[in-house]
Amino acid sequence: MLTLTGLCAGYGPVTALEDVSLTAREGEITAVLGANGAGKTTLLRTVSGLHRARSGDIDLAGTRLDTVAAERMPRLGLAHVPEGRGVITELTVEENLRLGGLGRGGRVSTSDLARITDLFPVLGDRSAALASTLSGGERQMLVIGRALMARPTMLLLDEPSLGLAPRIVAQIFGLVRTLVREEGLSVLLVEQNARSALSVADHGVVLNLGRVVADAPADELAGDDQLRHAYLGF
Amino acid sequence: MQQFLNTALTGLTLGMVYAAFALALVLIWRSTRIVNFAQAPMAMVTTFVALVVIDAGHSYWLGFVAALLSGLVLGAFLERVVIRPVEGKAEINAVILTLGLFIVLHALAAVVFGNRYRSFPAPFGLEGITVGGTTIALNGFGIFTIVSVLVVMGLLVALFRFTDVGLRMRASAFNQEVARLLGVKVGAMLTLGWALASLVGSLAGLLIAGGGLVHPSYMDSVVVFGFVAAVLGGLDSPLGAVVGGLILGVSLSFVSGYVGSQLVALAALVILMLVLTLKPGGLFAQAAERRV
Repeated sequence: MLTLTGLCAGYGPVTALEDVSLTAREGEITAVLGANGAGKTTLLRTVSGLHRARSGDIDLAGTRLDTVAAERMPRLGLAHVPEGRGVITELTVEENLRLGGLGRGGRVSTSDLARITDLFPVLGDRSAALASTLSGGERQMLVIGRALMARPTMLLLDEPSLGLAPRIVAQIFGLVRTLVREEGLSVLLVEQNARSALSVADHGVVLNLGRVVADAPADELAGDDQLRHAYLGF
Repeated sequence: MQQFLNTALTGLTLGMVYAAFALALVLIWRSTRIVNFAQAPMAMVTTFVALVVIDAGHSYWLGFVAALLSGLVLGAFLERVVIRPVEGKAEINAVILTLGLFIVLHALAAVVFGNRYRSFPAPFGLEGITVGGTTIALNGFGIFTIVSVLVVMGLLVALFRFTDVGLRMRASAFNQEVARLLGVKVGAMLTLGWALASLVGSLAGLLIAGGGLVHPSYMDSVVVFGFVAAVLGGLDSPLGAVVGGLILGVSLSFVSGYVGSQLVALAALVILMLVLTLKPGGLFAQAAERRV
């Protein structure tokens, strides 16, 4: 589905990603794990076109992405939910959702909105409220719902658990799992919270200082004590 | 009583023009964090376009439309050609560029249109309306001023609130990176924002010019009042720009009518200082959001 081959990226003299190759398979959740500064966010930003790779290929279901502008990605079926919530706080909940639907091109219908508010009833209840009034968990639901408005095939999630209570994290991960199972969505999930991420993911990739140090099924990674202690901190 | 009413009416009309000019500044500020010092000469150039059309024997209205359209085009052109290359760099670069534009447009206008005063027609009478035997300080052109600014503001509000392109423009203004991820062509939205701001500025220019004299520098004092109005309302708030413009127009009119017209500029400065001291974000500033 999404394949990265020999990806290198950096900022000025700093190298953030070095020869990273990984595959996020169709209908699976692939978790990218690693400590702060391992290059996880850069990886997602490079895939979605916010940051240009120095070299390497990015391929989404046969389409080369490495020269595509970020604003074209929604039309290609790629949605990136950025770190730190990324709700547009000055817009209402419904406006945020509509904006997500516009990315696909064409108009946004009420049934598009209804699909998302069925998934996240709280967004329907608060649809006229400014997004700035939402709680952290509600904001995370809003950004995921907004990304889904464009009906993506590949969802990039950057640290969805950041700053949220464990109960909310479990709720959000459960929902992502349901979407993958029921709608065939593919997910590339970047997380520092390795324990939660591995509990929901099918496959895991561990980054350390911009390099891939492990690439294996999630349960295998969770069972590898040495790796867990060295890189995942649990 | 009559003097009070007339002073208020004069201030209201003037305030509408300040409001339009402040709105032009706010539209650019809130999407790009640039104070567009070139707004006044841009409006001046479009007013001269109207004058050329009218002097060629066409109607005032054709000139009016030509000025607004040329404002739209001029705004888009300047954003693409002058501002875009420094987009993403320090905002001060773009602000200095708008100051440069201020000088260049002045000089060009003096060369092309002549560095002299020329009279500009008004489409409606400048005689005060007579109500119950007394003439009040509101004439046909004043009513036109108020109505046209209200109509343009209403159209802008409708565009921003109820259309997809308006939603995209607001998203670009508030968070460029998130907007891009959602498929918004942010660059095109910035160009459109400049075009609309320039159109609103042109309207202010036409309304100031109506029935008076135009000169390459006739808008320069308005930029000061427009800026004070924008700061008064809060540079981020279009509604604030309108309310700020009205408050400023009425206040200055009272200063002029009851204290002395030579103190108008000083009064504007005092208002600016009071706002910056007491409520630096402006009357309509949204409280800065607390980061969670």
